[in-house]
Amino acid sequence: MKNGKMKNDRQRTFMLITIPVVVLFFFFNTFPLLRGVYYSFTNFKGYGSYEIVGLRNYIDLFSDGRVGNSYLFTVKYAVVCTVIVNVVSLLLALGLNSRIKGKTVLRGIYFIPNILGGLVVGYIFSFFFTYILPYVGQALGIEAISSSMLSRESTAWFAIVLVGAWQSIAMNTIIYISGLQTVPEDVYEAGSIDGATGWRKFKSLTFPLIIPFFSINMVLCMKNFLMVFDQIMALTKGGPSQSTESISYLIYQNGINGGQFGFQSANAVVFFVVIVTISVLQLRFTGKKEEQL
Amino acid sequence: MKKRTVKAAGAGALALVISAAGLAGCGSQDDGVVTIEMVQYKPEAVDVFEELEQRFNETHDDIRLVIESPNDAMTILKTRFIREDYPDIVAIGGDINYSNFLDANLFMDISDFDGLADIKQAYLDMDKELEYVPMDGVYAVPYMANAAGVLYNREMFEQYGWNIPTTWDEFIALCEEIQAEGVQPLYFGYRDVWTCLAPWNAMAVDLAPSDVCYQVNAGETTFAENYREVADKQKQLLDYAQNDPFAFSYNDACTAFARGESAMYVIGSYAVPQIRSVNPDIDIDSFVFPASNDPEENILNSGNDLQLSVMANCENKEAAYEVLRFLLEDENVQYYVDDQSAVPCKKGEFELASMLDSMKPYIEEGRLADYQDHHYPAEMSVDAMIQTYLLDDSETALDDFMERFDTEWVRYNRDVIRKVEEYTQQHPDSE
Repeated sequence: MKNGKMKNDRQRTFMLITIPVVVLFFFFNTFPLLRGVYYSFTNFKGYGSYEIVGLRNYIDLFSDGRVGNSYLFTVKYAVVCTVIVNVVSLLLALGLNSRIKGKTVLRGIYFIPNILGGLVVGYIFSFFFTYILPYVGQALGIEAISSSMLSRESTAWFAIVLVGAWQSIAMNTIIYISGLQTVPEDVYEAGSIDGATGWRKFKSLTFPLIIPFFSINMVLCMKNFLMVFDQIMALTKGGPSQSTESISYLIYQNGINGGQFGFQSANAVVFFVVIVTISVLQLRFTGKKEEQL
Repeated sequence: MKKRTVKAAGAGALALVISAAGLAGCGSQDDGVVTIEMVQYKPEAVDVFEELEQRFNETHDDIRLVIESPNDAMTILKTRFIREDYPDIVAIGGDINYSNFLDANLFMDISDFDGLADIKQAYLDMDKELEYVPMDGVYAVPYMANAAGVLYNREMFEQYGWNIPTTWDEFIALCEEIQAEGVQPLYFGYRDVWTCLAPWNAMAVDLAPSDVCYQVNAGETTFAENYREVADKQKQLLDYAQNDPFAFSYNDACTAFARGESAMYVIGSYAVPQIRSVNPDIDIDSFVFPASNDPEENILNSGNDLQLSVMANCENKEAAYEVLRFLLEDENVQYYVDDQSAVPCKKGEFELASMLDSMKPYIEEGRLADYQDHHYPAEMSVDAMIQTYLLDDSETALDDFMERFDTEWVRYNRDVIRKVEEYTQQHPDSE
């Protein structure tokens, strides 16, 4: 009897903690989301009167060349970035986790890009790509970089990849370092008795044990890069020739600045479904490979 | 005791949420003093409006004027409109946003406002053309206009003895001449796509009819018929621009022109404050872009840069009119003109900035036409389409661009075209 009452009290406390958060979450997240879904069936410009147009926005989405291009660009960008970031940050983490001098200082330095704002980094790189890099290219006679990378369709997307990767490597490295620190020393000792060194050691011991960190990094990276926005805003504004318009950029640009609130809401709904699907698939796929000690 | 605290905290958080959700609406009248809230969208003119606001409040006891100049005002306004939180007066540009707001019935008919008689007819007509379908009444007071054409470095022109061209052939010849002297004739900041529209607009007023968009919406013509020459000539300009103009931004181009790296710069008068911020001593003048070989066809590209509209649900119409009257007083107009190098829409003798010297005859005679891009929907991104076309080296570039313009126009203007069709069916005798 007494036990039951105490449990009740506990539950009530938990409820009191949870409910305000749920309400807040509902008002500021779920409710806008539902409103967005509703607007996706209208020709709403963002203000004033509007009409329900049924599935017209969704049908248009699949025949709109610009939306199609933005999906292609974003996926290409996200995949390339995710690969680069994970490879580089894993290498960096391995280095920064080994016994070297000034390890803490180095870790601090490598973390700096993460604390700088996306726009700030973007504008600095924009200057770098427009003035400094072409100057260096001309001085050294390297054709590929002697004109601005941002002004050509063939290279602009890669410039954005470089900036995006440069910035997110920091956070991923930290996650990998924390992952590497969870691997107990005795596993390596046992491994070395069996003759596992170098690449073998990494492939058979280290990597399987940090797979949870690998999968969280993959999911975070993919999700962040699919939603790329700041870098585009600062570097190219979607140009040249609309070749670097990401999905988020297009939704913002045409939904808020242009009068396509309804249409871009439909785009946002589809984009939401795509991101959820990709994240779930990734978690399933990497989850299967996790090893437990 | 502990439990109660938790409960109180929970209730507090809930109350916060509810009050946050219920925060809407605003009062506009207290103690007999009427408050008029005005939102203006020009970041360059913040100081001017602060001064005007102060002058107004010093001379009026019964009306309090509050002028807001938020950053990125257009987005702010739109989000406020979504929440149905309206100011009393908005000062915005005469562009597609005005068309859309008007189409959403946000503005009040102010045809009974006495100040309208003092406004130049050309600018009132521009606002009429911005209506998707002709409407009864007047919904905006044109206040300030800007002028776009070719800015040139007067000092450089005098030094080399170059003359202002009045036809396209003369303009090209001038570019050749400048190039021959080893000077860069033009500088573009095409990385910021919107700057692609500056030469486009300046040439389109000479070469295409001013109501081309309405004509297309009514199915009477196509853009391919009207814009081919504009597009072709804009590409020719690239021959006289700096190397790789797509690598440089608007700021870069302003800076370069300010430092005398180019003799001319095809942009609007709105760029002058930016240029002067780099080089305060530069002597700038501007001339009308001569895109046609018939000097009679070359007119000034000038549009309503700032116009005043009263919102439909403004409760104190008389007070709002009083604000409009105040802003239109000669002294205040001149104050704005001096500060912003703007062109007043009001009739009368005003002293114009020296950088408009060569354009003065056009302004006085009213030989001007609105920016064509004021009729383009923002989401269609015509600027980016022009950039794409300029970057396209293939032989079919021009044809592709014209075809794309026409097909995309139809797609982005579906609702407007339907409205125009309905209108022409109901009014078969108009036009």
